[in-house]
Amino acid sequence: MTKSLYEQRVELYKKTIAFENGRSSTAYAGPATPAAHYNMTIKDFMFDTKKGFKAYVDYVKELDSLASIDCINAPYPGKFNVALSLMWLSQIKVPGRDLPDDSLWQVHEKALIEIEDYDFIIEHGFAEFQQKYLPKVIGVDEIQDFMNYSMTEGPLQAQMLVENGLPQVNSIAFTPPFEALCGGRSMTKFYMDCYKRLDKIKEAQDVMFPTTIESTLETLKQTHAIGGWVGGWRGASGMVSPKIWDNLVWPYMKKAAEAFIDNSFIPIMHLDQNWDRDIERFLELPKQKFVLNTDGMTDLNRARKLLGDHVAFMGDVPAPILSMGTVAETEDYVKKLIDNVGAKGLIVTSGCDAPANAKFENMVAMYKTAVEYK
Amino acid sequence: MAKISELLANLEMDELMEVVQKELDNGTDPVEILKEGEAGMVKVGEMFSSGEYFVSDLMMSGEMFKEMGEMLEPHLAGKTGDVLGKVVLGTVEGDIHDIGKDLVYIMLKSGGFDVIDVGVDAKPEVFVNALKESGAPLLALSCLLTTCYDSILNTVKAVEAAGLRDQVKIVIGGGPTDESVVRYTGADAVGDDAQSAVRLCKEMI
Repeated sequence: MTKSLYEQRVELYKKTIAFENGRSSTAYAGPATPAAHYNMTIKDFMFDTKKGFKAYVDYVKELDSLASIDCINAPYPGKFNVALSLMWLSQIKVPGRDLPDDSLWQVHEKALIEIEDYDFIIEHGFAEFQQKYLPKVIGVDEIQDFMNYSMTEGPLQAQMLVENGLPQVNSIAFTPPFEALCGGRSMTKFYMDCYKRLDKIKEAQDVMFPTTIESTLETLKQTHAIGGWVGGWRGASGMVSPKIWDNLVWPYMKKAAEAFIDNSFIPIMHLDQNWDRDIERFLELPKQKFVLNTDGMTDLNRARKLLGDHVAFMGDVPAPILSMGTVAETEDYVKKLIDNVGAKGLIVTSGCDAPANAKFENMVAMYKTAVEYK
Repeated sequence: MAKISELLANLEMDELMEVVQKELDNGTDPVEILKEGEAGMVKVGEMFSSGEYFVSDLMMSGEMFKEMGEMLEPHLAGKTGDVLGKVVLGTVEGDIHDIGKDLVYIMLKSGGFDVIDVGVDAKPEVFVNALKESGAPLLALSCLLTTCYDSILNTVKAVEAAGLRDQVKIVIGGGPTDESVVRYTGADAVGDDAQSAVRLCKEMI
């Protein structure tokens, strides 16, 4: 029986992770990029979810008609502020309410977690802490509205992606405890805490981890997902000292990735900022069972030399090239990337999210070059 | 006294504050203590540039320097150390990110600059007014969103329109900024991190 386009692309994704792909694969990762292309405000794109999702799919299909889009790495951001608030325990300013209609959503970082909250988490558990804390960053009505939206429109969106031959390889982002605490406590204060109260934070994170990984795995199972992100943002090697990274960042990212793999989901280690210092630590995860998704700041050329065929890379065309560069510059970047790390085990995409103002012709050039060069 | 710079460079917060207090109690000139703190921050900056320290270390040292400054302030009575020059600093219009800006603020302060912080989501005229009022020859713009490149461009244009461009050097910084953004906006230079912002400002002053 002939395989559907969706099945073929799922197979290509898995073959790429196993270094058995013929050409470079591609992934789409521009949650806000379609809005401007269709003259929608970010507000309408994000909150008029039926129109917004249609624009998202239309945009990806338009790209797909010019160069193959093999999978989706950044889902449509319907009512995305709720998901971000839950992930990062932060307030999110949104267009149309806190910002002009065509502004991108932004984290409004404030120190809302107090020092005493570490003890509260340790004594009462993370679920009870969330109940107490979340009203500080997001309204209960908004959470309820988001859940209704997810339950009613989520399955329809998933079906539409399947029908359009677009496997979503990231169904949920697992937020390591370090990242959640950092968002709620605010970066400067949390980093200070890491120097002064490392053991206390570790104890709190040990309490948080089982709750968060279990709920992530449950979502992955319920949605029959291929995989999801294990996020690394403020815990990047370029951001924190080795002592903080070794104690508070890596053990939890590693455990999360292993839990994904044990449950047959593919973890995408979504790594913003620079991870050069610790890149060899990813050899500790099982060979060819995960993906490294970097944003242009980690040296993939060096990483390939150190990691060999242990792990596939997903990345990493920088945002400035996509938003302000030329087609020639975009093509040149992708060609050099492929020359440096090889087409096998490579999924070409934007570094982190493609920017909201990415030029369409540059997006096309990125994917066309990935598919046609070598 | 050299111990103060060492303690700061080694990120030993509690001991640093004890030693600063002891020096004050002994009647040491607070300006000299402040200079020692600045020397410690220079060392931290060097360790960051050489890859020995990371952003969290910069932040920790910044907080230590800030706390030390707060301890010294009542004793300084308006006296300051040598000031290299003035810098107007802020995050451009449409962007509310402040962490990077705040880190640059503390690094510039500890590097000997008088910094006028105009905050986040700052319109071009806010920067221009601050430049006019302060007479600062340096403008540092923070931008974390690719959609705000035009805010940098508009700020540079506003500085030009105010007739200040030939007297003011403009440095930009933030995650999605690079040389291509310098070319697009007409700024003078881009800093990769807080420490390079200090280096650039020192070169340009």
